Amino acid sequence: MAKELNEAFYQQLQELQEVDFVLVELNLYLDTHPNDMQALQQYNQLVQQRWQLAQEYENNYGPLMHFGHSYSRHPWQWKDAPWPWQV
Amino acid sequence: MIDQVRYYYPYVSPFDPCPPMRVKSYVVPPNLFVSYQPVNLPQNTPREALKLGTLWPIFYSPYPIPGSP
Repeated sequence: MAKELNEAFYQQLQELQEVDFVLVELNLYLDTHPNDMQALQQYNQLVQQRWQLAQEYENNYGPLMHFGHSYSRHPWQWKDAPWPWQV
Repeated sequence: MIDQVRYYYPYVSPFDPCPPMRVKSYVVPPNLFVSYQPVNLPQNTPREALKLGTLWPIFYSPYPIPGSP
């Protein structure tokens, strides 16, 4: 069964990608600035936001990760196209 | 802002079999000029950050390809 690729699918995926990228940047920044409280707060806030976005996405379109890091509905959803690199 | 494209003028041999390139250029990344990143720098929005490849505008490099429009 293929996913329904509507406007919302792309929007949610893009938001997730944006938050993920900012998290990477802040992660690398915090590696060299471990005492920057403001950046740390921003990081933790975004972790929470990412978690919410990921959950919303997975509820609608199936697992983002496999090998036990995401839930799947019946029937097994991991094999459903498109895969992230096909979007 | 520091100009990120620099030029140099290589030696051209009189026996050069090809039409010589008299000017060559290279790009310097902006992070070279920031030794330790200051705190509380202005940030791009997440959307811009993903598109430009950096969260902080001072680290943005357009990486222009010399000679391209």
